[in-house]
Amino acid sequence: MSYELMYIVRPTLDEQALVTVNERVDKFITAAGGEILKREDWGKRRLAFPIAKFTEGFYSVLQIKLAPTAVRNLERNLQLTEEVLRYLVTRVESA
Amino acid sequence: MEETRTPAAGAGAASPAARTGGEPRSKNSPVRCHGRFQGPRPPRVCPFCAQKAKTIDYKSVEMLRRYLTDHGKIKPRRKVGTCARHQRMLSAAIKRARHVALMPFATEATRGE
Repeated sequence: MSYELMYIVRPTLDEQALVTVNERVDKFITAAGGEILKREDWGKRRLAFPIAKFTEGFYSVLQIKLAPTAVRNLERNLQLTEEVLRYLVTRVESA
Repeated sequence: MEETRTPAAGAGAASPAARTGGEPRSKNSPVRCHGRFQGPRPPRVCPFCAQKAKTIDYKSVEMLRRYLTDHGKIKPRRKVGTCARHQRMLSAAIKRARHVALMPFATEATRGE
């Protein structure tokens, strides 16, 4: 099943730490037998409203293929990752 | 009492954008005062049906912004003329965009900042 994952990382991290977080997220997916079709890093972006007292954050959007049963675990892993402020997993209707 | 009927000023100013897709109206009906709502009429066809939209992307913030009021609320169908199905998809997209802080739940004006 195809999904789209968007997540926001704390703005306080340096470049190196951001890469580490992104790699960790990638691993969540690949370790569950998923596949990353596309990764898009939007960079630092202003939030429409403050989250955890931050007014900006690093956005990333991934197009992934993942077993439906593995989504729950992915969400749990993201929730346990402190650097991730928010995430959103949506189903992509594919032809 | 009947002064409130004159539609132009109040509601018209609030959403000039809603009017753009529409046709010039009021040709043979200068009076349409039987219904309760007297505002600017939305375009007759749903803007999403016009593009044959199958999905509405929550990431296209600029496009979605047109469907918010100045306070950040989702505009009602009667103002934007979307069909029921696309209004549902639209509101879901806006809510997703809000969750990831791409769009506001309430604008500064409402929050009083």
